[in-house]
Amino acid sequence: MFINFKGAKTYVGTGGKNLETNKTTICFIHGSGQNHLSFVQQARYFAYKGYSVIVPDMPGHGFSDGNPCRSIKENAEWIYDLLKELKAKDIVFVGHSQGCLVGLELNKIYPELLKGIIFVAGSNTIPVNQFLLDLASSNPKKAYKMMVTWGHGKDGAMSIASWPGHSHFGEGFNVMNMNIEDALKLDLEACNEYQDGEDASKKINIPALAVLAKYDQMTPLKSGKKFVDIINNCESHILDCGHFLQAERPKELNLIISSYLDKLENIEII
Amino acid sequence: MSDNYKFDTLSLHAGHIPDKETGSRAVPIYQTTSYVFKDTEEAAALYNMEVGGHLYSRISNPTVSALEQRIAALEGGTSAIACSSGMAAMHLVVTALCSSGDHIVASSKMYGANINLLQHTMPRFGVETDFVNPNDPEAIEKAIKPNTKMVFGEVIGNPGLDIMDVPVVAEICKKNRVPLVLDATFNTPFLMQPFNYGANIVIHSLTKWLGGHGIAIGGAIVNGGNFDWGDKEKFPTISGPHFALGGISFWEEFGPSALTAKIRAEGMYNFGPSLSPTNAFYLMQGIETLPLRMKKHMENTHEILTYLKDHEAVEWVKHPDLETHPDHEVAKKILPKGSGSIIVFGIKGGRKAGQIFIESVQLASHLANVGDAKTLLIHPGSTTHSHLSSEAMKEAGLTDDMIRLSVGLEDIDDIKKDFEKGFRAAKKLIK
Repeated sequence: MFINFKGAKTYVGTGGKNLETNKTTICFIHGSGQNHLSFVQQARYFAYKGYSVIVPDMPGHGFSDGNPCRSIKENAEWIYDLLKELKAKDIVFVGHSQGCLVGLELNKIYPELLKGIIFVAGSNTIPVNQFLLDLASSNPKKAYKMMVTWGHGKDGAMSIASWPGHSHFGEGFNVMNMNIEDALKLDLEACNEYQDGEDASKKINIPALAVLAKYDQMTPLKSGKKFVDIINNCESHILDCGHFLQAERPKELNLIISSYLDKLENIEII
Repeated sequence: MSDNYKFDTLSLHAGHIPDKETGSRAVPIYQTTSYVFKDTEEAAALYNMEVGGHLYSRISNPTVSALEQRIAALEGGTSAIACSSGMAAMHLVVTALCSSGDHIVASSKMYGANINLLQHTMPRFGVETDFVNPNDPEAIEKAIKPNTKMVFGEVIGNPGLDIMDVPVVAEICKKNRVPLVLDATFNTPFLMQPFNYGANIVIHSLTKWLGGHGIAIGGAIVNGGNFDWGDKEKFPTISGPHFALGGISFWEEFGPSALTAKIRAEGMYNFGPSLSPTNAFYLMQGIETLPLRMKKHMENTHEILTYLKDHEAVEWVKHPDLETHPDHEVAKKILPKGSGSIIVFGIKGGRKAGQIFIESVQLASHLANVGDAKTLLIHPGSTTHSHLSSEAMKEAGLTDDMIRLSVGLEDIDDIKKDFEKGFRAAKKLIK
């Protein structure tokens, strides 16, 4: 659905269902240079399972107008305001890559807001190499291609997709190409500059789930494991794929998230 | 870290990794109509397009899907749909984009069945087409109307071998917010990938060079994922709400793959032009050697061009790689590896001489196909384009004496020897 939010046309995917925020709300936040289509195989799945699903395009990304947020904190504040605007409650946050940093910051600033937090291919620090930062500025399309190549495992490279007839590389590039040109550059800079991840990780006092990728070149597994170890109460899984694991291993990821959500509901009952 | 595999590697591997349970190196032929659901939840998820997977082979099939993913990778598209023929692919695209009251701008110089579909069949359903010269970008732009939903042409025209200046036409389409749909059968992704030049949708007859062995009919639609379908007034059935899946907006839900999702959910589901898994397997076997075959096709084509253009029995020869071809400069720009292995030529002595030539050669086969590994010949005026009026024939660049030659992979000396027999027989008759 399209809404006018903070004076800009903003797209919020709802997984093909009407938004009913009287239910548990799953808020999916995309990574650097991505948009709501990062979660194409999660949004509909959880919406049809009866959850209220919110998958926004951050400003300047996908179908949303406006200028991209310039820091992780600014991203977190924007999402907080959006969740309030939509009257979301019982919120489970799902972040991919940069979205994980945003989730950490959101939970740090508003510790009572979330009831669960899920990190997909995440870490608490995402340093970006200067080459990619420069390329995102000078030749964004080339940077998209590079990220799409780095971001997938063998399945991606060989065009193996559970969605019939799909090519990860072609899809990945065109999803990134929907954003305004400097979206990737500003996102990567925001990731690179974020230094509060360790502190924010230690402050997590809600059940957490981390799903990491064995062949992740964007947020390497080593960094992800270190991150998971800092969190008090974090269930973790490692899938045999690259960074874009929502696309490469959608069914496995959905089952892991479903199981986590079931456990979360049981915790409330107790 | 994944690798950015090159074309030759993708031709062999894309769309399939060895089966984890059986280790099968070749793509298995999933000769099945349907798939057992684990539970009702999984069944519902597939019907609702919540996740990818297969529910019925009219809509998708694992073997066909491997072929689709290979083609999508080779073209650099977001996704592909394979179907029962190239004409089925064409029809799926037209019906996905157009409704009654809509309009198409199409090349006047293309395959007879394409012209038939747009000139005679679609008007019965309220879709009108204006045919224009594909080499006249101004005419193309002039023909675009507010209700135009696609510009359609062939990269290399059949059988006239006109070359569309794709980047120029693509720019016109972009400016007018109309998708450029190209039949890229004659070039294959080995010679040219239309998305690199701004095209939005590619159609293939897989029967031809991609399959390459004349054993299976098939077609494909490849989605470039580079067109903005967000104009709800112009593309209401893509940007939604669509009757399928509870009023879905394919554009909002699937973005660059919106068109593919729509064709899968509507075209494949409602019309059912599915490709058999066995034919998909045959076609994939062909694609595995596409780079090798195309190199040899082009090598032989260039040899035959030299042979024909100097031959005393030949009146004229047409191929875009010849400097005499009116589109030679465009061909050099967009088809640097060569302009395909179809040659058209006229034999001295006109229609009768052509007929004798075709009936006298022994190695080359007289039949209605192109792109086989074997050398093929036909007289378009009396076969593939015989249903066209004289005016349409002229417009399509056809003449009575024209022979269409699809250069095969035989030893070049044997092809030449065979042609000599044909030329001698024709000459004898004329004398």
